[in-house]
Amino acid sequence: MAEIEIRNLGIDYRKPNSDELFAAVDNVNLSVGEGEFVSIVGSSGCGKSTLLLSVAGLVKITRGSITIGGKTVTGPGPDRAVVFQDASLLPWRTVLGNVRFGLEMQRWTGGDLTKQAMSMIKLVGLARFADYYPHQLSGGMRQRVNIARALAVDPEVLLMDEPFGALDAQTREIMGGELLRIWESDKKTALFVTHDIDEAIFLSDKIVVMGRNPGHVKEVITVDLPRPRTPEILDSERFTEFRRRLRAHLAADMAGMHFMEEAA
Amino acid sequence: MMMDIFMRRQALILGTLSLVTIVVLWQLVVDFGIVNPFFISTPGAVWQEFLVQLNDGSLLTNILATLYSFALALGLAVAVGIGLGMLSGWFQDVEAALEPFIWFKYSAPTVAFYPLFIAWLGYGTPTIVAIAFLFALTPIYANTLSGIKNVDRDLKRAAISFGARPYDIFFRVALPGSVPVIVAGLRLGVGRALTGVVVAELFGANAGLGYSIAYYAQMLQTNRMMVPIVTVILLGVILTQALSYVEKKTDAWRVTHDN
Amino acid sequence: MAMVATSARDTGKTGTAKAWRPARSTIVSIVSVAVFFILWQVAPDLGWVNGRFTSQPSQVFLAAIEVLLNDDFFYHARISLTEFFLGFALALVVSIPLGVLLGTSQTARYLIDPPLMALYIAPTLVLLPILVVWLGIGMASKVAVVFLGALFPIVVNTMAGMREADPKLIRAARSFGASRLDVFVRILVPGSLPSILTGIRLAVGRAVLGVVVGELFVSQAGIGYQLNTYGSAMRIDRLLVYALVVSAFGYTLTVLVRALEGRVRTWRPE
Repeated sequence: MAEIEIRNLGIDYRKPNSDELFAAVDNVNLSVGEGEFVSIVGSSGCGKSTLLLSVAGLVKITRGSITIGGKTVTGPGPDRAVVFQDASLLPWRTVLGNVRFGLEMQRWTGGDLTKQAMSMIKLVGLARFADYYPHQLSGGMRQRVNIARALAVDPEVLLMDEPFGALDAQTREIMGGELLRIWESDKKTALFVTHDIDEAIFLSDKIVVMGRNPGHVKEVITVDLPRPRTPEILDSERFTEFRRRLRAHLAADMAGMHFMEEAA
Repeated sequence: MMMDIFMRRQALILGTLSLVTIVVLWQLVVDFGIVNPFFISTPGAVWQEFLVQLNDGSLLTNILATLYSFALALGLAVAVGIGLGMLSGWFQDVEAALEPFIWFKYSAPTVAFYPLFIAWLGYGTPTIVAIAFLFALTPIYANTLSGIKNVDRDLKRAAISFGARPYDIFFRVALPGSVPVIVAGLRLGVGRALTGVVVAELFGANAGLGYSIAYYAQMLQTNRMMVPIVTVILLGVILTQALSYVEKKTDAWRVTHDN
Repeated sequence: MAMVATSARDTGKTGTAKAWRPARSTIVSIVSVAVFFILWQVAPDLGWVNGRFTSQPSQVFLAAIEVLLNDDFFYHARISLTEFFLGFALALVVSIPLGVLLGTSQTARYLIDPPLMALYIAPTLVLLPILVVWLGIGMASKVAVVFLGALFPIVVNTMAGMREADPKLIRAARSFGASRLDVFVRILVPGSLPSILTGIRLAVGRAVLGVVVGELFVSQAGIGYQLNTYGSAMRIDRLLVYALVVSAFGYTLTVLVRALEGRVRTWRPE
């Protein structure tokens, strides 16, 4: 587990078919402590995924710096693992094969790959399905394999980009609880991008609210609800209060968006 | 029970049924004097001839000769097509360098250059193999190129996030992922290789199914000529079906990406 | 958005982009072709290959001029073109109605589909000798080869086009009281136009093949006849001119049909 330190981060993109640059993200400063579960929320286009992927080392940054445990991020590395919204499982490999994949790519030297993979598969509750192929699994199960694959390489930081975005509402709720259960076992530093406010409040210690044009941090909210979190919290007063604050942020963004679309 | 069997073997049953229909129609068309049997022969006569050619070994000799050229041509096409296809799919520069020639090959009917091959290689197996090789090359190359080039971007990104290097991505992601497309290309290539061999044999050969078609045609012996013709069609169907079967097997994991 | 960090390849070079810059792949392609032509021209002169077998670009160019001016080029071209268009027209007249019929009748489809597919895949060129037996060595047999070559792709694709009709459109039309004939004429036929054009495009390739192979096999005139003549006489330069003429013809037709296909497909929101 390490702390993530983001300073004055700026990421510029070149627009397709032109030389115009536009800033996806600008002047972002963020600190994530060891073992913290931090969500990043915001309306679409605010750069939250871009931010996450830059921490992953998959997106080049234009200004500023990102350090993890003191080391500067220059590209993908064994200290971070990404859980994408698309499960991105190799369809020709079994569950076991897929969880082993990350270990193989990183040339894992920590012992028997299969043992390591199987322990993660057990952790996410899919021990029975180790020999199944992705096409035989439901969406929720595939995401669990995705998570197992990321955990198997024992990263310092777990990065998740709307991992439950493609699932139906009920599965999403179940997966949220599952994720916390899995996370509790090791309490890795985690960055979690989502557009679902309830999910963010339920899962996190801190919520980073981002705004658009360009992507920037509007506010960092500390969620001091007690752990371990149970589904009953969703109905509590404090939870509702947090929800209200976040919805106010997003509503402000919506109003801004509406104007822009009419102007265009 | 009967419905069950019908459902599962539907393709086979219908296929056989229509085959029978064709044969029956064939016989009837001649019996009713619609077409002179000289032109298309009759099922009965063809069957007789089939037995004759089978017994005296000529049919087998011809089939083997054709299959020999076919195998050579296909083997070459697979080696060159997949080899070049992979290089082109992975290295943009290779694709760009080869593209004008592939494009030309697409628009130029290979057979137009047939006399050129005769001039270079003479009549006989080398020319036949050369023509069939070129025939079969296109789909195999094109499909391999497409398969490698269009590797699933999500999979590639996930692999990179785990620290995969370029050759990891090629061997562990692009290659396995392109197997279905490549096999589909092989299926097309098989049909074209057979066509290429037989057509080339029509012109200049001393054995093979195409040769015997042309030979009997010259002598106006329709009965005898129909045997190799039917054999070619059957051979094509069998080979293509065999590859379709392989295709389905390798495709098993591609069922759905979403449910 | 580019999610995967790459080298300069995706983002390109920074700075000036005012003038039109040809893409790298275009340059590589052009260089590749240039190298080919240079080698082709130079290799025989340097003795690397026998010029009698390969000819040279310069020779082919000169031969092209000769052929157009002196040879009976237009006579032969006319023969081949006649065979082509006659055979193709006949194929259209037969295959489209046939395809429509088969496409709309379930029973017809069950019976005809397997043998039809078998014949579609089967090389119809194989029947060439039999056609020569029936129709002689003149133009008729070539017309027949073209006809057979073009027939199956068009039938199969027309059938597919009929089946492709959007059931939602049909349902909407029915809800407004459209009769079966209305549905057929107003929805099925226009809806299947793209597929029919695809079939035609595929048929063009086979038809060109048919003319060339037919004439190579046996003929008294035509482009294929000339190909044969010059092949035997080892006049590779003229041979190549005729081969290139065939290629150009096939290519132009295919491009035209493809363009038409493209126009028609835009009507269908996919």
